[in-house]
This record gives sequence, structure tokens and C-alpha cells, in this order.
Amino acid sequence: MEAALWAEKYRPKTLDEMRNQVEIVNRLKKFVETKTMPHCFFAGPPGTGKTTGALCLAHDLFGERYMDLFLELNASDTRGIDVIRTTVKDFARISTISDAPFKILVLDEADNMTGDAQQALRRTMEKYTNTCRFILCCNYSGKIIEPIQSRCAIFRFTPLKHEDVLDYLRFIANNEKIEVTDDGSNALIDVAEGDMRKGINIMQSAAALSGKIDEDSVYQVVGMAKPEDVKNMLNLTVKGDFIKARESLRNMLLRSGLSGTDILKQIHSEIFKLDIDEQKKVELADAAGEVDFRLVQGADEEVQLGALLAKISLYTK
Amino acid sequence: MSQLPWTNKHRPKNSSEVVGNMEAIESLKNWVLSWKRDGTNKKAALLHGPPGIGKTVLVETLAKELNFDLIEMNASDLRSGKIIDNVIGSAVEQQDLFQRKKIILIDEVDSISPKKDRGAVQSILKIIESTNYPIVMTANDIWDPKVRGLREKSLLIQFKRISSREALPFLKKLLDEESVEVDYDTLKSIIQRNEGDIRSMINDLQMIATGKNRITEDDITWLAWRDRKEPIFDALKLVFTSKDCFTARRALDISEVDYEMLFEWIYENVPRQLSDSSDMVKAMKALSKADLFIARTKKHQAWSLLSYVIDLMTAGVAMARERTKPAWIPMKFPQRISLMSRTMRERALMRGVGSKIGSKCHLSSKSSVRDFVPYLRTIMKNNAKSASLEKWLELDEEMIDYLKS
Repeated sequence: MEAALWAEKYRPKTLDEMRNQVEIVNRLKKFVETKTMPHCFFAGPPGTGKTTGALCLAHDLFGERYMDLFLELNASDTRGIDVIRTTVKDFARISTISDAPFKILVLDEADNMTGDAQQALRRTMEKYTNTCRFILCCNYSGKIIEPIQSRCAIFRFTPLKHEDVLDYLRFIANNEKIEVTDDGSNALIDVAEGDMRKGINIMQSAAALSGKIDEDSVYQVVGMAKPEDVKNMLNLTVKGDFIKARESLRNMLLRSGLSGTDILKQIHSEIFKLDIDEQKKVELADAAGEVDFRLVQGADEEVQLGALLAKISLYTK
Repeated sequence: MSQLPWTNKHRPKNSSEVVGNMEAIESLKNWVLSWKRDGTNKKAALLHGPPGIGKTVLVETLAKELNFDLIEMNASDLRSGKIIDNVIGSAVEQQDLFQRKKIILIDEVDSISPKKDRGAVQSILKIIESTNYPIVMTANDIWDPKVRGLREKSLLIQFKRISSREALPFLKKLLDEESVEVDYDTLKSIIQRNEGDIRSMINDLQMIATGKNRITEDDITWLAWRDRKEPIFDALKLVFTSKDCFTARRALDISEVDYEMLFEWIYENVPRQLSDSSDMVKAMKALSKADLFIARTKKHQAWSLLSYVIDLMTAGVAMARERTKPAWIPMKFPQRISLMSRTMRERALMRGVGSKIGSKCHLSSKSSVRDFVPYLRTIMKNNAKSASLEKWLELDEEMIDYLKS
């Protein structure tokens, strides 16, 4: 059955179909030519082709039946040490019966792996190198321990250029016979922020909404998708309505699937746009950094972010 | 179905039908039977404990069972000293013509108002001195200074909250008699949310069962937690008004909830109680530090750290109050907990949708919820042909309805 979500339907199947991250793709093609590869570490923002790169590489190496030689695990769903000790190990240690030289195990969103799990992984990677190669994908390389990074070839995926995003969106629109106006293009680029998946999702929603992609439909989709957003929450904070701001924070955390870290990143970037003393911006950045660290330690997202909002409300008074 | 309140309809007919508190029932019965005019076993008994656990009912059933007359006065009656003398005073001194025995019940003595019920406590004390019949009083809070005199003159009998083990068979039988079906988990959560108050359990049940012959978990999600006068409010008062750390720290001891629940209560109410924003920020800072210590405590199983958690969340918040002017603002139940229970079903559905998307689109369920669900909603609501999408993602009816709503 053909994929119904465009983000999946138009995911490139082979390295040749990948139009962006040219240098990375070229190196991956070399792996295919030589039928060999090291453990790899794909770091970069969402929607820049990390998972696609891994899938295409496996496809080109192993052919259509690559799924037999390929295991994809998502570290956010299965992040504990048990999975590393059982599922990962079982897959990695059994060598292939086909003529393929090795198998590939992709650990997606690897930055969500617990520390213990990473330690366990490090040994597994080394022990079963002959039979299995690992590809770790993550947004922030800092969350992966040094010993693992040092065992991998590191590929940094950069945010896609606006024209590249637009090119591909135009290609999809053509195929789906959807009209994209000029102001619609600009709006798409503006909201996608270099994230291909986001761009495609917004375009498909806008197409469902109005049948054509123009400025109105794009911003309408974005507005509907995020009734509670960080900017709105900060506005409430600045106005001094802390209780409302905290409610908005709570809704985002409980209902929209945003993590505390996602929200913190956005607050952090907004801090420098606030109309306050430059000195105080530094203090707030310091406070944000402290919150980030505490979240890593397992502190409560709402309480920590709430305290940060309280501080912002005092400074903007 | 009868419209009579179930709390009346199913009121116990004799003391053996009263749920729970076996020991208390036994000691009250023994005391009544061995009561002597000379006061060897104290002339009055004071039944104390939280509301809705059967104190008054017990006295009523006991009187009937032992064939005593019951003379009753409760908080809804005006209770100035003079009225008490008139109603009860005369009753306790007269010997009944037919030698009928009597029990005098004075309900809710802790709610006697010092102003309106002037002289009431003195009158009751006088009556206890001269009575010819046993006097039984009830109170929720016997440590209220108003009732100190009564406390000293009385046999104290403590009533405890009804455990779910005790409440379960009773409520099941009640529902059987009303021909209402219920599953175990639903009944259990109704029991739990009422914290041992069997009267409010029955009230809740009647409220959600009216016009139905079956109740499920869905019916109770909207039931509000009762805003009861609980030790937690006294504890919060300590946290928000104490001038010294020692007093503030006592909050945990008197709150009757665990430290995490107390934390939620304080966290909810900080911005409400501390109207001065610099006080509020300081208090939030203390709470966020306490929260960090909680995380460390759990991560390293270092339970000795809990002591600092308590310091920060109680004394830390109390000391933050410097400029906020005194004002009476009601305490609010932790909204975060209400929202969690209200959105339980929604969040479970979301996770389900997330993992469906994730398995098709190579993403974790959490990222799927974040990156796809908002757009998926728009597509599904506005595209008549979204059926193929639903089929491809293998969404079930419930998920589809939820996403389209």
C-alpha cells in the first residue's frame, strides 16, 4: 500500500534519490561501492535526512530485501539497558547467512538513551563489529558519551537550505497536482525552518485545508497546529499573568508531546529578544542553562520551567 | 430507581451493619452498657475522626439496638448555653416515668461557634456533671482549643477512615441492590478518591449511577475531588504564614499526605498565595531546588537527601514571604493532578496514535505526536478522502474519532 503521509511517500529510497547533504551522501555511496563501512554517528537537527540516509544506505548495500539485514530501534521508545542487552545483542551477534558482509542496526533518537544503556552499547559495538555495524542518529551529539563517539565515523547533517527545501516541496506539489503560489512558497520556507519533514507536513495539511498552497493556508495550518505555543506562554509571562502562563506550559507538556527540553530551547532563543536590560538577559541565560542541566538530572519539567518563567516575569516587570 | 438519597436508603439498621471501625464500635457499646451515674467510666464519650465514616450513624443504630431513647442535637441547631439547658438539661435530669433509658447525642461539638453559641461549652460541661444518662459527642477535630474542656471530661474514641478493603464489599452490595453494574477498577478508584469517607463514596456513586445500569471508568473522570477541610489545609497554612523555619517544617508531619503530594499542593498554591512577585519568584526558586533534590534522591536512592527536600519546600517557601500582605485566599487542589486524571484517556490515545505513526515513519512515538499529530488532525478534519490515510496508519475507530474531534 502506498504511503498516505507525504513525508513518508516522498522519502527517498536510494542514495541517488537524496538531493541534499551532498557530501555526506557521496561518502555513503563510497561505502556501497566498497561494500564496507564503519560504525556511523549521524548528528543534526530534525528533518535533515539522518534516518533517510541510514535507510537508503541499507537499501543500496543490501538491495530490495534489506529489511532482513537491518534493524531499526528507536531509543526514545526503548531507551533502557535491557534492550541493549537483549534485542540489540541478539541481532548483532548472529552473523548473516546471505552473502552480505554484515548487518546494520540503526539506533534512532540515540540521544534519549540512558547512561547505563550507552555504557552497555559501547561494549556490544566493539564485540560484534564483524557481524554488525551500528548507525546512531541523534539531534545533540553532546548527549552521547565520548567512548561511543570515538568508535564511530561522525557525520554532521546541516539544516537544509531554503532553496533546497523549496525545490523538493515543489517537486511533491507537482506530483500531487497541487498549486503553490509565490507567497505560499515564501510562507512554507519561513515556517519549515530547514526541516524537510515539517515543511512537507505543513504543505499536506494546507492542501487538505484549501486545495492550494498560499500564504493564508500555510499560516492557518500553523496556527491550528499550535494553539499553545511558547511565544504565547512568554507573552502571558511578560504581562505578569504567571498562573495562566503556567497553565499554558502544563498543556504543552501534557498534551502536545513537546518535551521540557524542546520548550526550554525555544524560551532560550526568545530570551535575547525580550525588552529588558542586557545584563538581565545574561542572568536569564544562566538560569536557562541551570534548568537544562537539572532536566538532564531528571528533575520535573514543569516545576523547573515554571521557576524560570517566574524569574522572567520579575525581570520584565 | 428511587430518588431517595442512597445515604439514607442504605443507612445501617443496626451497629453490626456499620462499615469499619470495629474497635471503636465495641468500645462505645461497652461504655454505654457499663455507664454509671457516679462517673467511674467517664460520663461522656467523644467520638472523633474525619467526616463521613459513621460516627453519628453508630450512635443512632446503637440506641435503637439497645432500646434507648435518643435525644439529639447537632450543628444545625442553635446552641447557645440557654438552648442547650432547655433541650438537653431538662432531659438529663428527669427520670423517665417508664424507666426508659436515654442516650444524649451532641453532634459536631467542634463546630460550636464561640460567638453565636455563647456559653455552649460551659453548659455542656455542666450537663456532663449532672447527667443521669450517657452523653455522646462527635467531632472532626478534637485538638481545636474550643473543645479542650470537653476533651478532658470525655472518653475519647477515635474513628478511622474506612479502608478500601472494608468499603468494597459494602458498596458492591449496595450497587447490587440498586441493580447497577460496576467493574472492580472503577469502584476502586471511587473509593480511593474519597479517601476513606464512605458517605461521599455513596454520594458519588449515586450521582454517576443515576439513570444508568452500568458505570465505568469514563463516568468518574469528571468527578471533582472534594475540597474537604483536611489536615492538608492546616499544613499549607504553616507553609504560607510561618515566620520561622521550625514551624514551617512541621507542615509535613501534620499534613497526612506524603511529601510528593504536599509538594504538589504547595507548588499549586505558591503563585496564588504569594501575591508579591518577588516573593513568588523566591518561593518558586526554593521549590525548583527541592524538586532537584527529589530527582537526586530517586536517581541515587539516597533517601537521606529527603530531609533537604522538606526544608526547601516548607521553610524555603515560608521564608520567601517578605512583602506579600496578609489576605485570605482559598487553597486550590493541585490542578496538575486534576489535569492528568482528566487527560488520562486522551494521553493514552495519543501514545497509541504516536506509535502507529512511528512504526510507519521511522520515528519514536513521542516525536510522532509532536511532529505529525497536529498536522494529521488538520488533514483528517478537512479532507473527505482521509480514509486511505487512516487505513495506511492502521488507526482504530477511537483514535480516528479523537483526532477528528
